Amino acid sequence: MFPTSFGPWLDYTINGLVIGNIYALLAVGLALIFGVSHLINFAHGSVYMVGAYIGWLGITKLNLPLPVTFAAVAVGCGLLGAVIERVGLRPLRNAPRIAPLLATIGLSVVLDQSAQLLFSPDPRALPTQLPSWRIAIGGGSIGALDLLIAGVGIGSAALLYGFLRFTRLGWAVRATALDRDAAQQCGVDVDKVNRTVFAIASALGGVSGLLVGMYYNTIDPNMGFQAGLKGIVAQLIGGVGNVPGAIAGSLLLGLIESYGIALFGTSYRNLFAFVALILILVLRPNGLFAKARRLPPEPLTGTFIAPSRPLVLPGWLIGLLIVAALALPFAVQQPYLLQTLGNAWLYALLALSLTLVAGTVGQVSLGHAGLLAIGAYASALLALDAGIPVLLAVPLAGVIAAALGTALVFPAFRLRGHYVSIATLAVGEIVTLVILNWESLTRGPIGVTGVPPLSVAGTPLVSGQWVYWIPLVVLLVFAGVQTRLLSSHLGRTLRAIREDDVAARSYGVDLNRYKGLAFAVAGFVAGVGGALMAHFYSYINHETFPAPVSMLALTMVILGGLGNVAGAVLGAVVLVGLPELFRAAAEYRMLIYGVVLLLLIRFRPQGLLGTV
Amino acid sequence: MLDVIARSAALVAGTLAVLTALGVAQPARSQTAADPTKEPVVIGVSGPLTGAYAQYGAQWQRGFDLALEQVNASGGVQGRPLRVQFEDSQSDPKQTVAIARKFVADSRIVAELGDFTSAASMAASPIYQNAGLVQFGFTNSHPDFTKTGDFIWSNALNQAEEMPVLADYAVSALGGKRIALLFINNDWGRTSKDLFTKAAKERGAEVVGAEGYLADEKDFRSALVRVRDTKPDGIALISYYADGAQITRQLREAGLSQPVVAAGSVYSPKFLELGGAAVEGVHTTTPFFPGDPRPEVQTFVSAYTAKHGIDPDAYSSRAYDALLLLATVIRQSGPDRKAIRDGLATVKDAPSVVYGTVRFDPQTRRVDKPFSTRLVVKNGAFALWQPGSTDAAKAAN
Repeated sequence: MFPTSFGPWLDYTINGLVIGNIYALLAVGLALIFGVSHLINFAHGSVYMVGAYIGWLGITKLNLPLPVTFAAVAVGCGLLGAVIERVGLRPLRNAPRIAPLLATIGLSVVLDQSAQLLFSPDPRALPTQLPSWRIAIGGGSIGALDLLIAGVGIGSAALLYGFLRFTRLGWAVRATALDRDAAQQCGVDVDKVNRTVFAIASALGGVSGLLVGMYYNTIDPNMGFQAGLKGIVAQLIGGVGNVPGAIAGSLLLGLIESYGIALFGTSYRNLFAFVALILILVLRPNGLFAKARRLPPEPLTGTFIAPSRPLVLPGWLIGLLIVAALALPFAVQQPYLLQTLGNAWLYALLALSLTLVAGTVGQVSLGHAGLLAIGAYASALLALDAGIPVLLAVPLAGVIAAALGTALVFPAFRLRGHYVSIATLAVGEIVTLVILNWESLTRGPIGVTGVPPLSVAGTPLVSGQWVYWIPLVVLLVFAGVQTRLLSSHLGRTLRAIREDDVAARSYGVDLNRYKGLAFAVAGFVAGVGGALMAHFYSYINHETFPAPVSMLALTMVILGGLGNVAGAVLGAVVLVGLPELFRAAAEYRMLIYGVVLLLLIRFRPQGLLGTV
Repeated sequence: MLDVIARSAALVAGTLAVLTALGVAQPARSQTAADPTKEPVVIGVSGPLTGAYAQYGAQWQRGFDLALEQVNASGGVQGRPLRVQFEDSQSDPKQTVAIARKFVADSRIVAELGDFTSAASMAASPIYQNAGLVQFGFTNSHPDFTKTGDFIWSNALNQAEEMPVLADYAVSALGGKRIALLFINNDWGRTSKDLFTKAAKERGAEVVGAEGYLADEKDFRSALVRVRDTKPDGIALISYYADGAQITRQLREAGLSQPVVAAGSVYSPKFLELGGAAVEGVHTTTPFFPGDPRPEVQTFVSAYTAKHGIDPDAYSSRAYDALLLLATVIRQSGPDRKAIRDGLATVKDAPSVVYGTVRFDPQTRRVDKPFSTRLVVKNGAFALWQPGSTDAAKAAN
């Protein structure tokens, strides 16, 4: 099985470069936007999808010549980029930097859902009009489209380089990237710069959507998410905001994946890639191709986290709400409502856990669903395979999630800012992929069936009331503990790390210890939440806690107000409740959800209850 | 500051109030009934209309629409109109459990269909089982799907039946001795892989390599290098239509010219559209084939193409079939939750475009002995495979 001769390795290398070539198209645009606005643009994948659909209209419906189609895609997506900047981001320019990040998530929901409604969710063929000759290299071959993709990637990078280097607007872009406020004082129209950057990056993103659509002869409204994720990873390997680095990072990612397949098999592809990403982040925290003498990334002082005064709910109101919540099943007998709120309490556990690490300590995690998965699998397997009673398995699962979660994130403790987010994103993916591949323990893709329900004295607690009460009581206990923790010296220390880790360290705070403590507490809370879900669902597999769950958790936390315990609960109730609330709107409900999310960020960027 | 408290409180209160209202609200979508004066018989559907799996929900919808039209045109069930309440779950477990509670509490709903993914469907099964409402999973092939209890039924293709048929095609008919397998790495693909490997071995062939890929993967070039280096004389795909088309395109581009046999789930017009010229000559077996001369199939195909303007695919035909089956059972046993469960156990001659006639094994609550037709892609369309064609000759050499 293991290739020993040279031939296969040549093929793997070429295949890796071909696919890396494709990642590069997206990574360049992401790097440009990040370089100027320090924003990971989650809407970029959606722009890429829109580009593919404009191209599809041009090629199959209007029968335009290929160059005209390309121009139409570039112009259309360029305009879309300018609109995204104007509608989604400019109103938030003075808001904390986390708000635009959330706005891009909201925008991508709106764009993806609109495409699904306009063009139907079915995948469509996007035939290429390029000549079909292929050049044989090694055992494989490359075609005209491969060369065109490489040409567009390298060509656009060269054009960008020239633009940034030799034009006045390019200088303005670079000045803005270095220091926005200083540039503004020197008379640079910062808004114009941002608009230009978004338009250029989006035009490029749209063209890549068209090219990749032709390459695979397939486009669908959901093609953006996975592609955007790969683009983000690729530009991180190269060093964020570094355009040539993004191309090199993309090619390297393609090679890593291809060699991963060669060494371990197809199902290990992403696992190998994400492990490599973490290694690179740990060894070269600024990316492989960052300049050695570059300034360290600025601490997240006041810029990332909102400078707002939190709403302090009066004690009597909190007490009243708690009593009302506990008494609700006596007053309302509707299992659907109780189940929905029960789900909200379970997700509030996840939000509570995330708000501690993301809000209080400032370590924004994009892989929090991984903790749910660890807790769920630990509890399910302890109960099924080790015969431990469910009531004991749940807290044990919390401990396991705390230990494993902290150990997995530990290498990322030395990272800062966005690198933490990407490292945790990778950890989340690794957890899912290990679950999928470690068949002897986790049963792999088959999943764990027949997970026993929670029960007391042989009576299973499965009715609507218990599904509501159990998570609620657990939530109240953890929320109480976390509130106490935040008002203690420990809470102050954790916030000090968030505000300025250099200052905190100079006061003798052992960063790793406190970060570890925070992740352990967070892991326990999320782990218990995941364990409860496993016992309610009775069946879990690697798809039960997918990456979008991590995004949802982050949205809840930001919406409620970072670090805010009551805010996390409110965020969970709102975001679990809204899609159910809009159920009558059928296919339109996720579109409405996206719009509501955007409006909430627009008018309350520091979160509903404010940052603590 | 106070008005923010008020606003936030109002938001929570509003959310709760409307959630309460929705618990008794009217269904999201409904169908015109044949006899609107009578109270309709409602079947709940939990499935993806938005999100990553929305395309499958849209295909279900097309099948349901046609089935409802036909059932209600012929008098509905026991004189009452049949209706479907389709709730969008995005195939997200936290939404399917909420939908399950909603359906279970709604006394008008007599049975449930769906959901799509195993994770989403099986999370809701205990709720349906405990409440005594039939959950009928018509695409749920997970080997343990029906094991939750006696209210959980499925007419999904049994892989223990399907895979030997596929292996037979690849080994006995096409003469493959060294078969390389590519499978989607989920519960369906993984189970199928084991069953196919066993069945191929029993027929004297060897599975020389098995590559599991992730559901959202699009690039198979490197996986195909591994396949090539196992020197196979036949390639089997355990894939859905989009990934199946992608793999076939890339393996032809990589210069692999071996015969390809794909599981029946590639059976879709989209497979031909997305695969283009590359899928020419791909073999598959399917229980449902529009060219099938059986009258019920011909009625379905002509009505479907007239209504939707496209050919039916595997998922819309299964949705159509499932709803017709439930209508038959309700006609025989009455619109009662428990009676439907008992009716499923005894139903014998329910017409089916997928199976001919359906009967369930009351122990496993699954269908046995599906039909299967051997097909090959010829001139851009699925056609009946004729033994002795070029492929068989080539493989025999």
